[in-house]
Amino acid sequence: MPTLDLINLRKQFGSVTNPVVAVNDLNINVADGEFLCILGPSGCGKSTALRMVAGFEEPSGGDVQIDQQSIINMPPNKRPTAMVFQKYTLWPHMKVYDNIAFGLKLRHLPKNQIDQEVQASLELVGLGRYGDRYPAQLSGGEQQRVAIARALVLKPKILLLDEPFSNLDALLRVRLREELRQIQRNLKITAVFVTHDQEEALSLADRIAVMSKGELQQLDKPATIYARPKTLFVADFIGAMNMLDGEVNGGVVKVGNQRLPSPAECVAAPAKIAIRPEDVIVTQTGEGAWHGRITQVSDLGHYRKVFVQSPDLGMLKLYLPKSIEINDGEMITFKPTRFLIFQGPLPPFEVKL
Amino acid sequence: MKIDPTPAYHQPTMFGYRISTRTLRREAFGIFALVALTLIIIGPMMTVFLWAFAERWRQPALLPTEWGLSYWYETLARNDITSAMPMSLGLALTVTALSAIICLPAAYAFARINFPGRQGLLLSFLAVNAFPRFGLYVTIAVVFFRLGLVGTLPGVILIQLVNTLLTMIWIPTSAFQNIDRALEEAALDVGAGRLRVFFQITLPQVFPALAAALLLTFVSTFYEAQGALIIGIPGIRTMAVLMYSYINNQIVVQYGAVISLMLWLPSLVLLSFAQKFLRGNTVSSGFGV
Ligand SMILES: Nc1ncnc2c1ncn2[C@@H]1O[C@H](COP(=O)(O)OP(=O)(O)OP(=O)(O)O)[C@@H](O)[C@H]1O
Ligand SMILES: [Mg+2]
Repeated sequence: MPTLDLINLRKQFGSVTNPVVAVNDLNINVADGEFLCILGPSGCGKSTALRMVAGFEEPSGGDVQIDQQSIINMPPNKRPTAMVFQKYTLWPHMKVYDNIAFGLKLRHLPKNQIDQEVQASLELVGLGRYGDRYPAQLSGGEQQRVAIARALVLKPKILLLDEPFSNLDALLRVRLREELRQIQRNLKITAVFVTHDQEEALSLADRIAVMSKGELQQLDKPATIYARPKTLFVADFIGAMNMLDGEVNGGVVKVGNQRLPSPAECVAAPAKIAIRPEDVIVTQTGEGAWHGRITQVSDLGHYRKVFVQSPDLGMLKLYLPKSIEINDGEMITFKPTRFLIFQGPLPPFEVKL
Repeated sequence: MKIDPTPAYHQPTMFGYRISTRTLRREAFGIFALVALTLIIIGPMMTVFLWAFAERWRQPALLPTEWGLSYWYETLARNDITSAMPMSLGLALTVTALSAIICLPAAYAFARINFPGRQGLLLSFLAVNAFPRFGLYVTIAVVFFRLGLVGTLPGVILIQLVNTLLTMIWIPTSAFQNIDRALEEAALDVGAGRLRVFFQITLPQVFPALAAALLLTFVSTFYEAQGALIIGIPGIRTMAVLMYSYINNQIVVQYGAVISLMLWLPSLVLLSFAQKFLRGNTVSSGFGV
């Protein structure tokens, strides 16, 4: 039952005088059979973290453990991990068969067993009859499937994937990631999947580790990440969010010209109020509600995306049901049903109305 | 749907094939280029070739007036020639092999490791070739003389090694640089050791470039005369050195012509071999598909 633990993992590039901290004090635990996504904007240290697990990058501090055993002193070719890269990394001078068989041959398996396992892994990724082709004769999507087969055929304890589908078009990306997830579920393999695409992470992961500037922001289930972001960064980065300035004072928080209830634990100080576009209802009364002018309405299937220019809140994005009749340029009155109050670096308070 | 009864195109034909005017123009240019190249490259070579088999060739005649192999017999009967040929071949092979052993690991390091002074060192190899060689050789000769290397095989090997550095470092370095590191990492990842990664992943991909560098090195060493002449005399006499002295000292053109023909032989063999090999290799590995 392979588990993976990153413990206070740290990586610093650059010189002593001008250090670049790519990964800072990262703690992530991956359970047996779990599919964990590392999500974050470009340059936040996702690849560096993954490469330290694979052994291509030496940590500046901390530990990496598989099944509670440190692997930090193992060279990459001895580690029980297998990686799928963002770039196409099939060896161009070898046929697909030989690409997949390479690792098996190193393990001195008998020829007929190698044949069987290569074939089985090719079937697994739906390329049963591609063994005789050279990588240059495959499409990008097919190449990445072969790369996945090449990693899976070695039955690694941990499968590492560094944005494996980001070079592919949107439709293929969605299809391949679903296929990958299915394979991972069937094989019950432990996997870490790096991506900068939140939709990808939200739809695939058992849990998501959100990173920013080398640091872990939050490690939770997708639904929790969406509903209860722990930091302002996560609130802003995941999904759409309206960020408003507020001021807490004695059980109420003043946002714009309205007062909303706030928990007693909030201190009297400025705060950031985060409201999801869908956590808003349109009302008739002016009590506790803001008003604004609709500047843009787009029809998105079962709901409408509406931009509202409010005199004291600025521009807001709302998702409203199609049952409500609204048009460009009209005035609208609305109030939140649920919001988060962020104060300093503490986790936010949730308020439901 | 309406079907257009007139044929889609009317084009001139050549040898039964339809040829558009554009193809025709391109074709004509190709033929012209070929002829020009032939005249420039093959012309002089042809002259040498004819001279080697000419017993007599007076000015106005377009071709030799008497043909024969007598100069071949005479040349091949000479001791200095029969010993110079194996000497030249052996020397070129040794220098190429040594150069590969020294330069290829260095080239790999240049491509993969970013050490201080890397750029300067790379440029210094160019410097050797950027200035007139002769002065350099004379200076080296003075040093070699003190070391007792003048007139010896190690001396000539050393001086010719210097000549090969540029080709054998620059070409492989850029070839190694073009190999994505991730390809090597992927091989490490599935369990291959560093050496295996180099020999089974990296090397096969730079092979065409390496073969070209080796070939150039071999051929240029085989023809190299200046260094071999200054450092090698009197003990070491290569074919190239002999050819120079024959051309300089003999009034009869044929000796020089015969020796140059003999000098072509190894390069022709190597080139045809290389061409076949390189083509096979690139096609089978799917490059450029
Ligand atoms: N070899 C290196 N030398 C110096 N700095 C590096 C090196 N590798 C990465 N970095 C820096 O470390 C930081 C994290 O890089 P990393 O590649 O891990 O980002 P990432 O999250 O994978 O981004 P992306 O989504 O663009 O791939 C970046 O600021 C990058 O410039
Ligand atoms: Mg990356």
